[in-house]
Amino acid sequence: MPGKGSSMSSSTEREQGPRVSEFQANLEILRQLQFFSGLSLEALKLVAYLCARQDFRSGDLLFRQDDRDGTAFYIVSGQAGITRDEEHGGRVLKTYGKGEFLGGLALVCDMHRLFTLRALTGMTCVTLTRDRFTKVLEQFPEVTAKVLQTIAETIVVWEQRLLTGEGDLCEVCGRMAGMSLL
Amino acid sequence: MERTELPVSKRPLSSWILASGLKLQALLLCVILITVFVRVLPLEMQKRIVNEAIRAGALHLLFVYCGLYLAAVLIASGLRYVINVLQNAIGERALAQMRKELYHFILTLPLAFFRKTQPGMVVSALVTELASAGDFVGMAIAVPVTSVLTLLAFAGYLLWLNPLLAVISLGVYPMVFVVLPQLQNRANVANKHRVDITRTLSSRIGEAITGIHEIQGNGSFRLENRRFDDLVDGLFKIRITWNLYRFAVKVCNNLFNNLSPFLVFIVGGYLAIKGRLDLGALVAFLSAQEKLYDPWRDLVDFYQAYQDAKVRYRRTMEYFDAVPDHVLEPDKRKPHDLEGSVEVKDLSFVAEGGVQLLDRINLSLTPGEHLALIGFSGSGKSTLAQCIGQLYKYTSGHILFGGKEVAELSKRDMICNMGFVSQDPFTFEGTIRENLLYACASRVEGNGCGTSEVLPSVDDMIEVLQQTGIFVDVLRFGLNSILAHDEHAELASRIIRVREQFRRDYGIELSNFVEFFDPSRYLHYATIAANLTFGSPNRPSLTVENLPTSDYFLQFLKEIDLPLPLLQLGAEICTQTVDILGPLPPDPVFFEQSPIAPQELDVYRQVADRLQKVGITALAPEDHQRLLELALRFASGRHKMVALPEPLEERLLQGRIRFREKIGKDDPGAFSFYEASEYIYSQSILDNILFGKVKTVNPSVEEKINQTIIQVLIQEDLLETIVEIGMEFQVGTMGDKLSGGQKQKLAIARVLLKAPRLLILDEATSALDNRSQARIQGLVDTKLKGTTTLIAVVHRLDIIRNYDKIAVMKAGRIGELGTYEELIARKGILYELVYGKGAGP
Repeated sequence: MPGKGSSMSSSTEREQGPRVSEFQANLEILRQLQFFSGLSLEALKLVAYLCARQDFRSGDLLFRQDDRDGTAFYIVSGQAGITRDEEHGGRVLKTYGKGEFLGGLALVCDMHRLFTLRALTGMTCVTLTRDRFTKVLEQFPEVTAKVLQTIAETIVVWEQRLLTGEGDLCEVCGRMAGMSLL
Repeated sequence: MERTELPVSKRPLSSWILASGLKLQALLLCVILITVFVRVLPLEMQKRIVNEAIRAGALHLLFVYCGLYLAAVLIASGLRYVINVLQNAIGERALAQMRKELYHFILTLPLAFFRKTQPGMVVSALVTELASAGDFVGMAIAVPVTSVLTLLAFAGYLLWLNPLLAVISLGVYPMVFVVLPQLQNRANVANKHRVDITRTLSSRIGEAITGIHEIQGNGSFRLENRRFDDLVDGLFKIRITWNLYRFAVKVCNNLFNNLSPFLVFIVGGYLAIKGRLDLGALVAFLSAQEKLYDPWRDLVDFYQAYQDAKVRYRRTMEYFDAVPDHVLEPDKRKPHDLEGSVEVKDLSFVAEGGVQLLDRINLSLTPGEHLALIGFSGSGKSTLAQCIGQLYKYTSGHILFGGKEVAELSKRDMICNMGFVSQDPFTFEGTIRENLLYACASRVEGNGCGTSEVLPSVDDMIEVLQQTGIFVDVLRFGLNSILAHDEHAELASRIIRVREQFRRDYGIELSNFVEFFDPSRYLHYATIAANLTFGSPNRPSLTVENLPTSDYFLQFLKEIDLPLPLLQLGAEICTQTVDILGPLPPDPVFFEQSPIAPQELDVYRQVADRLQKVGITALAPEDHQRLLELALRFASGRHKMVALPEPLEERLLQGRIRFREKIGKDDPGAFSFYEASEYIYSQSILDNILFGKVKTVNPSVEEKINQTIIQVLIQEDLLETIVEIGMEFQVGTMGDKLSGGQKQKLAIARVLLKAPRLLILDEATSALDNRSQARIQGLVDTKLKGTTTLIAVVHRLDIIRNYDKIAVMKAGRIGELGTYEELIARKGILYELVYGKGAGP
């Protein structure tokens, strides 16, 4: 992480070897993400190049409920939690931590957020916006189909897990079934 | 602008000859007459030189005649030049006029026309196809008149010399008149084909390039290649045929021309031997004969050029032969001042191919009423808005705007009273200010709208910028500009005050996000050059652009052993950037964080190739130069494709100290080093205020910095000055330096600035985030309610509550019409849209 100077924690890493460019680091991360698994190396390089790094302090909002920020996040370090405005006291419904990728859906369609995502500790994220990802799709049109495939698979797996795992336990889930029949 | 009865697409080619300036044409004619006389003179001199001077051995006569001969030749050449100049001026003038009028006309054609027209077509029509017509207009009088008169003069002279010989040698030409047109006709037919095929070919290419993703996506290369190859083969054949006939015309013409000297020799020789023709006359005859060729050839060339121009001109004009849906200007009256009522009665719109897009629509709005049009895409809501806005001509029924039928109003009437923001508003190349004034300027332009109108003031502009929420963006553009060295001394000193204020109030709070100009630390968000010099140059030879070629600076680099590490860094940057950006188009998004500019990419791609082949040390000095340049403009915090090696960072910091020592000794005034008390002219206003560079792209941090800077600027009363500078920001071709949201806000701002009676918003806020959308809706609800009639095509249902009327469209009809409460209470389509299908009791 050259040029960031800001986060003290990374200065220890630095002394261990030659610096790795942010682009290379991003590329390494992206190659391991399922969301981008269908992309050719060329396309992936462009995505890595267009990603940005952002630091958040504990308590910072990554996005708000109803925002249409169109950003995906990969958490390099730190923790974040999702809440809903309707929940009084802002109960954290779920937490995300190091190595997790969220918000991929916002890269392909203009949608509003159902949750608020808040940094629970100091965080560093790799971020990508839809505007930029769209530019990649324009250059590599075949990517769209692959990304859609990945999304569809994820939805199916998700619902399957819901049906076979907790489906029986959760009566409401049964009635709301059909997400994968979209 | 000249008013002509016929639309430009129907005007014959000959009409441009008259329009091209009669004075010039008359002048040209005079020059031609003199020229013709001057051309014949040498012939007579030739005869006299031979007959009178040489025969009589009269030396003085020889000199007199030769002198006259020389004078005639010189004058003829001079006049020839004048004719060419005049001819060219006439031609260019006609071409310019044609281009202007055709362009003006094309812009008024119905939108439907442009759906099936490739931009490339219009470009080639205006740029290349008309050129031959322009050339022709230039020639149209000069060439035939000169040629015919010259021919007649020579022919007359020949007749005077010897009638018999003249009749025989001129007798060849009428035969030409029989053969030539036939050949030419065939050439014309071929030419027509050629123009058609070329046109299909260009639109084919245009289509392939625009749809390249589709071709590559489907791998339909063979299919596309076959289509293209067939066209090229067709073009190949037709071009060969066309040229065959054209050459035949030339050859045939040459043949006839060469035949006549033969006749002169045989008949003239016979007559001379018999003593019935003197030698001088024969010489004069032969050279007159030879000279006949030039005007004759000109005439034939002219004929060909005329035919070619006629074909191309007709084809071009036929292509654009559509009728504008509406007249531009009102006929002999002032533009109407319409009140903002809208009445739609039994409106239907059937598009080409019989698709019924709107079906018997009825609705009415009183002045100041607000209507929301909702429905699924394809339901006709945009089409309805566009028909009311006079962008499409409805096929039956009525739209009354202020009581007048929209179809019969002129464009001027509409733009004086209505504002339209389209779904995908277009931003033109130019500054923010120019784009902001776009709607107002076009209303003031020309005859105006009757009232004495002036362009809005800066305060008005700033107000709409604030209302639409693009103010901060524009401020940001202003903050990012670099002030010219001499022009803004006063502003610079005020910015220094802002800097102090900012440091005092927010320095500590923002220290995490700003990299301050600290002489003892490496600046990751500044270039290597800036890190070394740590100041702004006062000598032209040491500016950022000139530094890599400055001998002084290169010498300095050698002294501290930096050239090699910098070259290595440059090589790495070059290789990586070319690898990532290699095949991509010059989109600003791609080049935002690249040290290589789009126009340099080709050069660096070649450098990268050579680098790979021969290695860094064997590269040519120019390539070393380029790599060094790249390294010097590398800012490790922004250019993320390469990491700055730690040892190099250390050495650059030491280099900074050495540079200061060296330049302090050699030329103390050459650099102003970054000092908290000095304005830095090489850096942006923002960097000057911060006295450092922002380190993050995190929107919330940027927002925070914006807010603090706005506060400080307000305190120093500088806010508007900076926004004014920001309004000079160049938005790029098609506004590509602006985001989609910024473009939409700008489009809304420019229509608000115009403050029309009737405002039509066609999904005008679709690219905006929630807050911006809410802000604009708030503005609409408070400021426009009751004063401006509004028709808004809306894609989101959470902003329609405050509209006076809501029309839910379905398959080209209005399914429901009423207030929000009424429609919800009815539990019809709107209810279903809001609460989902099958919801409710």
